[in-house]
Amino acid sequence: MKPAAFEYHRPESVSEATDLLAEHDGAELMAGNQSLGILMANRLATPDHLVDLNAVDELSYIDVTDEAVEIGALARHRDIETSASLAEALPMFPDAASQIAGPSVRNMGTLGGSIGEADPAGNYPAVVTALDGELTLVSPDGQRTVPASEYFIAYMFTELEEEEVIAKVTVPREPFPTDRTGMAFLEQKPAAQTWPTISVGAAIRVDDPEREEPVVEDARVTLANVAGVPLRAEAAEAKVEGEPLSEGALEAAGEAASEASNPEGEMHADEQYKRELAAEYTRRSFETAYDRAVGSQ
Amino acid sequence: MRRSYVHGESATAVATAATIASTTTVTTAPTSTTITATTAATKLTAMDTHDITLTINGTEHDLSVEPRTLLVHALRDELGYTGTNVGCESTLCGACTVNMDGDAVKSCTILAVQADGTELRTVEGLRESGTFHPIQEGFQKEHGLQCGYCTPGMMLAATDLLEENPDPSDEEIREGIEGNLCRCTGYQNIVNAVEYAAEEMRADDTGSTETAAADGGVPMTDYEAVKEED
Repeated sequence: MKPAAFEYHRPESVSEATDLLAEHDGAELMAGNQSLGILMANRLATPDHLVDLNAVDELSYIDVTDEAVEIGALARHRDIETSASLAEALPMFPDAASQIAGPSVRNMGTLGGSIGEADPAGNYPAVVTALDGELTLVSPDGQRTVPASEYFIAYMFTELEEEEVIAKVTVPREPFPTDRTGMAFLEQKPAAQTWPTISVGAAIRVDDPEREEPVVEDARVTLANVAGVPLRAEAAEAKVEGEPLSEGALEAAGEAASEASNPEGEMHADEQYKRELAAEYTRRSFETAYDRAVGSQ
Repeated sequence: MRRSYVHGESATAVATAATIASTTTVTTAPTSTTITATTAATKLTAMDTHDITLTINGTEHDLSVEPRTLLVHALRDELGYTGTNVGCESTLCGACTVNMDGDAVKSCTILAVQADGTELRTVEGLRESGTFHPIQEGFQKEHGLQCGYCTPGMMLAATDLLEENPDPSDEEIREGIEGNLCRCTGYQNIVNAVEYAAEEMRADDTGSTETAAADGGVPMTDYEAVKEED
């Protein structure tokens, strides 16, 4: 019997879930249980009440329209990884999802769980930050939307209040026309089951992929696991915008991302190494995104 | 501002957590300073139980479990399905992999209550009417195991892969089992075993039963029929 005892609740709607959170002090939400389950088994987490969201079907969907992409918090990594409409509209999502652990974990783990956990090494926190996504948070008093840029406050601390449930992530599609946008999500990790040493999500929109040297109109890049929160490196973005992608611009962008990062050393990667990775992976992800935007990949 | 469930939520603990951020796994992150004893007054002592139904390899089981009972323990300790092994208990090793409602999952991070009403398949359910499943044949013929501890989980991960992708490349097989660790074989023979099973199952599917029938394998159509009879 590994976890400490708790009372178990299985709501079937968001409102039931938020009511349970309001009713029980110290209640914790559970979705895929792929991270919380480990904390509980080691008794690093001992909530008195566990609110299991797995029966809240209204949170389980992927909705792609011409204007926006909406993904329910209970969408599994596997659903995101295999969604053809997401691969078309915002390929960074399936790219990032497919690199989380192994298939059995991806069958359970959820988008909302990853964003609620807010580990700065997590994949979706970087994706929603790079794409300027918005989170919809629901409480017994109603709902509010919080931009990803304001949601992540510090290491595993977020805007999410005690009585709130993450309902969905929304990303407007207007900045990412599919015929001239490329995206990439690259990560380095020692083994499938570990957290990545670094991940970088990048998006590039060019003016016209048919031109001989398409110009970068808009660049986005966010790095995971080099700071306490997902790190949007705007200085790096500025280095590649306004001109065709060049070696010099990539070099400068890498340096800017490296300077912006503030990594903690860890067992297999000291601080200096992670700074070098920040530069290299920023460079590679911009290059890949550009190639995809101009259709050469 | 969640995280209240993590013990020791104080400025110090937060600072400690922040300084040791980015370790490779969650379980290594918190230090002893974040682990504090919970006072008896606030802790639950009553063992309330939930009545659940698990359908395992086609057989329905009603049982009563504490909410904290992990699925793998319910399978092994309560119901005697000891083919499913317990390894790391933290989703890293895959020894406890079972199939739940059609998907491979790690039963060490699923609560038994959470699995209420689901259909589960364990390694015991692969063999039907005394005949090995093609994946079991594959592990036997290709020497896909030495100590055998990872094998049940490997086979359940592999069958999930083959249901989605009947003709996987070597690389796809490796991706399919990347959540399952083996410390003996070096994986090559496991990949061969999965390839063997894929060939057998494809041959069965297309009705060209020569390969499968010749070596005693059971065509999948018959396999399904056997299941019906049960």
